[in-house]
Amino acid sequence: MMWYEIFKFEIRYRLKRSDTYIFFAFMLLFSIVGVEFIFQGVDIGGIKMNAPLVIAKTMGAITGLFMILASMIMGVPILRDFEYNIAAIMYSNPIKKRDYLLGRFLGSYAILLIVFSGLLIGMIIGEFMPWHKPTDYHPFHFYSYLKPFITVILPSLFFGASLFFVSGALSKKLVVVYTQGIILFVIFMLTKAITNDFAQALFDPFSLTTLTLITESWTVAERNVQAIPFSGVLLLNKLFWVLSGIAILFLGYKKFSFTVVKDKRRFKKKTQPLEIQSNDGSNTEIPEFKTAHGLKSKWNELRHFSWFYFVSVCKQPSFWAIVICGMIIILVNSVNLGTVYGVDSFPATYFIIEELQESSMYFFLIILMFYSGELIWKERSVDLNLIYDATSMSNFLNLVGKFIGLIGIYIVLMISLILSGIIFQTMNGYYNYEFEVYFNGFFLEILPFLILYTFIAFFVQVLTNNKFIGIFIVMVLFILNIVLGAFGYDHALYLFGGSSLATYSNMNGYGHFLTPYLIIKSYWLSFGILLLVVASIVSVRGTETNLIKRLKASKYRISNSIKKLGASMGFIFILLGGFIFYNTNILNTYWTNSEETEFRVAYEKTLKKFEYFPQPKIVDVNLTVELYPKSLDYTVEGYYMLKNTSDSLISEVHLQKIIESDVALISVIFEGGATEDKKYKTYDYSIFKLNQVLHPGDSIKMNFEQTYTTNGFESGNGSTTVVNNGTFFNNKNFPSLGYNKKYELNDADDRVDYNLPERVDKAGRKDIKELLNARSGSDSDGINFEIVIGTSEDQTAIAPGTLLKKWKKNNRNYFHYKMENQMIDFYSIVSAQYEVKKDTWTSNIDSLANPVDLEIYYSKGHDYNLDRMMTAMKSSFEYFSTNFSPYQYEQMRIMEFPRYAEFAQSYPGTVPFSEAIGFVLDIDDEEDVDMAFYVTAHELAHQWFGMQVEAANVQGRLMILETLSQYAAIMVLKQQYSEKKVQQFLALQADKYKEGKRRQHKQEPSLALVENQNYIYYAKGAINMYEFQNQIGESNVNLALKRFIKDWNTIDGKLKMKTDRYATTNDLLGYFREVTPEELQHIIHELFETIAPLKISNI
Amino acid sequence: MELIIDNLSKTYSNGVKALQNISLEIPKGMFGLLGPNGAGKSTLMRTLATLQEADKGTVYLGDIDILKQKNELRQVLGYLPQQFGLYPKITAEVLLNHFAVLKGIGNKSIRKETVEALLHKTNLYAVRKQNLSGFSGGMKQRFGIAQALLNNPKLLIVDEPTAGLDPVERNRFYNVLSELGENTVVILSTHIVEDVKEMCTNMAIINQGNVLLKGNPLKIIEELEGKVYQKTIVKSELETYKQNYQVISEKLFIGKPIIHILSDTEPGNHFSRVNADLEDVYFSQIFGNNTNL
Repeated sequence: MMWYEIFKFEIRYRLKRSDTYIFFAFMLLFSIVGVEFIFQGVDIGGIKMNAPLVIAKTMGAITGLFMILASMIMGVPILRDFEYNIAAIMYSNPIKKRDYLLGRFLGSYAILLIVFSGLLIGMIIGEFMPWHKPTDYHPFHFYSYLKPFITVILPSLFFGASLFFVSGALSKKLVVVYTQGIILFVIFMLTKAITNDFAQALFDPFSLTTLTLITESWTVAERNVQAIPFSGVLLLNKLFWVLSGIAILFLGYKKFSFTVVKDKRRFKKKTQPLEIQSNDGSNTEIPEFKTAHGLKSKWNELRHFSWFYFVSVCKQPSFWAIVICGMIIILVNSVNLGTVYGVDSFPATYFIIEELQESSMYFFLIILMFYSGELIWKERSVDLNLIYDATSMSNFLNLVGKFIGLIGIYIVLMISLILSGIIFQTMNGYYNYEFEVYFNGFFLEILPFLILYTFIAFFVQVLTNNKFIGIFIVMVLFILNIVLGAFGYDHALYLFGGSSLATYSNMNGYGHFLTPYLIIKSYWLSFGILLLVVASIVSVRGTETNLIKRLKASKYRISNSIKKLGASMGFIFILLGGFIFYNTNILNTYWTNSEETEFRVAYEKTLKKFEYFPQPKIVDVNLTVELYPKSLDYTVEGYYMLKNTSDSLISEVHLQKIIESDVALISVIFEGGATEDKKYKTYDYSIFKLNQVLHPGDSIKMNFEQTYTTNGFESGNGSTTVVNNGTFFNNKNFPSLGYNKKYELNDADDRVDYNLPERVDKAGRKDIKELLNARSGSDSDGINFEIVIGTSEDQTAIAPGTLLKKWKKNNRNYFHYKMENQMIDFYSIVSAQYEVKKDTWTSNIDSLANPVDLEIYYSKGHDYNLDRMMTAMKSSFEYFSTNFSPYQYEQMRIMEFPRYAEFAQSYPGTVPFSEAIGFVLDIDDEEDVDMAFYVTAHELAHQWFGMQVEAANVQGRLMILETLSQYAAIMVLKQQYSEKKVQQFLALQADKYKEGKRRQHKQEPSLALVENQNYIYYAKGAINMYEFQNQIGESNVNLALKRFIKDWNTIDGKLKMKTDRYATTNDLLGYFREVTPEELQHIIHELFETIAPLKISNI
Repeated sequence: MELIIDNLSKTYSNGVKALQNISLEIPKGMFGLLGPNGAGKSTLMRTLATLQEADKGTVYLGDIDILKQKNELRQVLGYLPQQFGLYPKITAEVLLNHFAVLKGIGNKSIRKETVEALLHKTNLYAVRKQNLSGFSGGMKQRFGIAQALLNNPKLLIVDEPTAGLDPVERNRFYNVLSELGENTVVILSTHIVEDVKEMCTNMAIINQGNVLLKGNPLKIIEELEGKVYQKTIVKSELETYKQNYQVISEKLFIGKPIIHILSDTEPGNHFSRVNADLEDVYFSQIFGNNTNL
């Protein structure tokens, strides 16, 4: 029973050590908020926070996160004997290797279980925390926690424990213990790359994907209450990892040698040349010199330190293991780059760099946390510290040297990653490397972040003077900072490090975001240096480790130069802080989340009464917009013509300015005069009492002038309304009439907290008021539109309408657009440096019709898919005008805009199209669906469904607008490509639908009653419409749509004119019924009015 | 330049009084600090080497207030701790060069010259390109003294340097030490009496944080001259002798105990007089209850 003695000793030893308790406490505390942390920002879809599935997934994820902790516990038991030089005594005892290893392993595993029981206990305690809403929870069930802990967590832990124990025992290196968590992470990442669902579930070491797979077909109710069955793929998964664990243990047992000297061959080689040479050195004279302590010698000292520590980390094999892992992961992950609808983008450098940044973060953090500890402890770990400490070196320079050395290490990893990126690009035949983008991506975006956290890590390591605790505190601080940001406390002045740099756009570079970013980073950099100064003063020098005594002794350690440095850094810190505060809080307004929430609540409570207050409608818009891309400003002046379309008198006009502090409504002048009631000025809501009451049918001209001025910078990532290159905004930025529902508080839980009634996304199909609205709070039923836009001389500005005139004045470009016919009140203003591709399309049917001008405005170099888009425009026009109705405008323009948003959006005759989705897709016609083509077709279809026929703002609205556009685009895709491509596209939609359904917690509505669920109106809509035309024939569907448009189009639709309301799905389905044979009538009900499962017969 | 320790005290947080009002004046030359394990030697040495705070008292090296002007002292300090390790994956030359930078030798060529000279002096030149992980105990200790001498120290502190060295290595080590000019205050702490006798012009014996004796070794020995007697006895008689005589040491010679006693008069009883040795002084201080010395 020798192993039992060793086992007991191990446990007793560990129980006496504080780190065991610290680990446990950490685990416990973290687990209390575990569910919130893991599921933060994820809509878990009406599932209770203590549903067995949620508990199991949280446990799995936390176990994954804390594998490092497992490594620290399991990696050290054998290593310890070598570290404390007790191995020789230990191994010369008459104990068996089996007993020794078994005892140590089981003892450590028992401790591991004790520590991880913090997970179980913590999560249980978490359930009873006072801040939870009882409605989010089932009654407490101990078994719901215990079962996943035993079936899911223990096997994972066993595998981790075996792996870490064996690698620690065989390598006998502490750094291996730190870094082996990474091995498991690599395994985890590799399983993510497996495309086969089953295999992925089988090999996921933390069983997250496994749990997803086995519960995939569960309904919400089942997910809520059903315990996780320990069978099927979960059982196999656990079996696999447990067996792997046993295999590793067995292998380790075979390999482990019960001797102290681990490599005899190497040892011999080293000792042989060290024969003592007995030449007497006593005659040697030591040269005379004076030690220098001036500035130059300090500089030399610093250089020397930096290089010394840099090299010392470079010599660690563990570092290179991290580098190689990083490079491999990137090569695996980069397989899917900038993927939109299953189509990859060209491996442009900015995609690569984003992928690199994302997947390398973990590696950088590991290096940061562990090597900062290693470096701070470098001298002490080899017992060389007393010699160091007795020299005249400066603490500060030494610390800075270590700091710079570590920064050098980051740079090595960055360069390796860049290399792997370039290799990847080359392998894919892409040679436009853009080193500048690589450089910026790492050295501008990542490095400052790492530098700042390295300050923290050094500071904490010095202060705590305990490597493990230091690492943990750094981790906690890191997480805390994220949590703080997530709760909206993200002001650059106190959110450590400020926010990250805005998305890089090929069109706009880093734009105007760069300068504030650098200022904020400098602010934190000065703070970091201050931390380093403090750290250098209180760092351990000599044998005194007690923090209070160190603090007391520090007064003799502050040299003049340190004092000066500290003072100047403090000064810079305060100065920059003041400057930032001036910019973010004085020039601009800073709102925390709760301030914003309260504002929204007050807005609704005060102004909701005006929601359906009779207002005139905008019928004419005539504006002059001046854009200033350099200074990020615009001014707009002009008029709205307002018409009383109601049958009662209107005596006041309610004007809502967009609630944004940098937008100012300079003047509003009503023809005939009005007095302004400023009672609701807080909400930028003005009531103008008209001097002359507006009679039904009367119009009044409202002149206004508005400015948008960018002053300084905002905290966080400011606005993208006007940017240096690629401005895109729409008329929602301009004054609107009446109450704006968009300012209401949306979150259902918050609404309950503030005693607000439940908010419905869409009114029912019988809501009389909303049937008259095409949009939420619509202030127009169609406008005549004319606009002049001025912009800088290198840019082209575009708005809907025919370009009447174009001229230059004061080194600015001016464009005058006018829409010939009535259009919806929805227009975009776009301006950028553009290349243009032009073509025309002439209708085959109506030979008298004017040709339509087709134009694609794109950023230089983004010309990969222009032909596809052009073809899409032509085929779409052909198909839609043949099958639905003629195209109503004289031009169609596609304009690229920066990838701050990833969508394309249809406006009358214009489609702003994001840089991210189509312009740079690498479409392989064999494998991919031509998404540049498809998206173009979809947006063009909106010129019919959205521009010609509008839908009432009630349930089902988005089926009319989006589902029909999907249908139309699919038909064009089928015509241009093949049925097979359509099937491929629909398969993707089916995935999206399933994904969306899983995330949604409300009862799924039918298509006809869809509200804002895009997985229904896009994904399911596409599939069901396709099935519908399969059943009743394409031509019948088209006939129905043709009739629908004819009767309901906004301008002269027969029924539209008669009823004065907009169309609903009720109307639409009527047209469907007309063209459907009697025996198939039931499918209309099935496809559009029920939530029957997808018909995937064809997919 | 003289090292003056005045009333130095240090009590550890666990209550151990490591130094109790220590006062010593240490002139240039070799000074031996003799005491058993745990006597407070290392505490004193570390305090002198600026590595530990004292509770009270002052220490001056010339004008330098050691307890406050730590960095000034460090510039003229050489220190070889009792225990130290070396980076394994680094050569002797590189590490010594590194220490030279730490000690403020900024000029590259001077640094190279100094490092080479010290490598010669400590007889490590031939192995300068070897990784330190392969160094034997003696080589490691010589490396230690090489780094301590890098900055031409005015105060050199060597803490138990010969523990664990074989006689050859020990001699080699002392050869290096003995060559130091008379301009340096060298403090050698040890529990080996021979070391002090061979090397030091001045010495002190400390135990339990107190200075028991200080002075010139030869003079100290002189005081005992003619008072030390020895006898080979049977082991079972030891207790009886201890009761009747002032036994200052007992050791074995070919398996039989030999005792030394201290006596002002001829003790008779087959005791024979021997020449007093420093060891006798040491043992009489540590174990003897003779306090009138």
